Amino acid sequence: MASIKIAGDTSGEITISAPAVSGTNTLTLPANTGTIITSATAAADVPAPTQLSTASGSAPSYSARAWVNFQGTSTVTIRGSGNVTSITDHGTGDYTVNFTTAMPDVNYCGVALPNDGTAGTNLVIACENQTRTKTVSAFNIWTAYGGNGVNKNLYDVGTVNVSIFR
Amino acid sequence: MDKRIIYKNDDNTISIIVPADCGLTIEQIAAKDVPTGKEYHIVNASDIPSDRTFRNAWEWQ
Repeated sequence: MASIKIAGDTSGEITISAPAVSGTNTLTLPANTGTIITSATAAADVPAPTQLSTASGSAPSYSARAWVNFQGTSTVTIRGSGNVTSITDHGTGDYTVNFTTAMPDVNYCGVALPNDGTAGTNLVIACENQTRTKTVSAFNIWTAYGGNGVNKNLYDVGTVNVSIFR
Repeated sequence: MDKRIIYKNDDNTISIIVPADCGLTIEQIAAKDVPTGKEYHIVNASDIPSDRTFRNAWEWQ
């Protein structure tokens, strides 16, 4: 293996090695001054990206800080989740999503989208349950099919999707 | 996870915690997500009725 050795500023040395390759490969360094990031680079020293690589335009990207997809009918079950330890089933259409790692404050944005399932015919909705306290570690939702404050028709739906942004 | 955590509310209704596959044990999830001071029970998911028609009338006995 061919190598280039660079003496350290005060001690030691760094070896840059090229593996066995076929043909001619080119590694082009950036024209600007910077630091090469390797697997050993401390996370705190890695520059924070301002947008996802798939984003177009210059608007910054914000990814979900927690998410969950659960079945709200029959035996309530979590199908998939991220940064969620559990959901709490308080009753018909009444749930709490519990985060593994808390949000920095309660000003996060919770988005809930219900789906009545393939056999369902109801136009279902979801909203934040303001009768329970929103905290940095838990977000409360209702699922329903219309109604008002007196008769709000809380309703179990086949799929509840919840995402949290902050 | 085939376990559930049940606790009784002050109005005698019950809440059921459905654990996520998050790397924590059911006991750790209970310690984190059951409201402070509430007695709880860990049961098999199969012990929870799948007919939720009268879900709000469920009681822990």
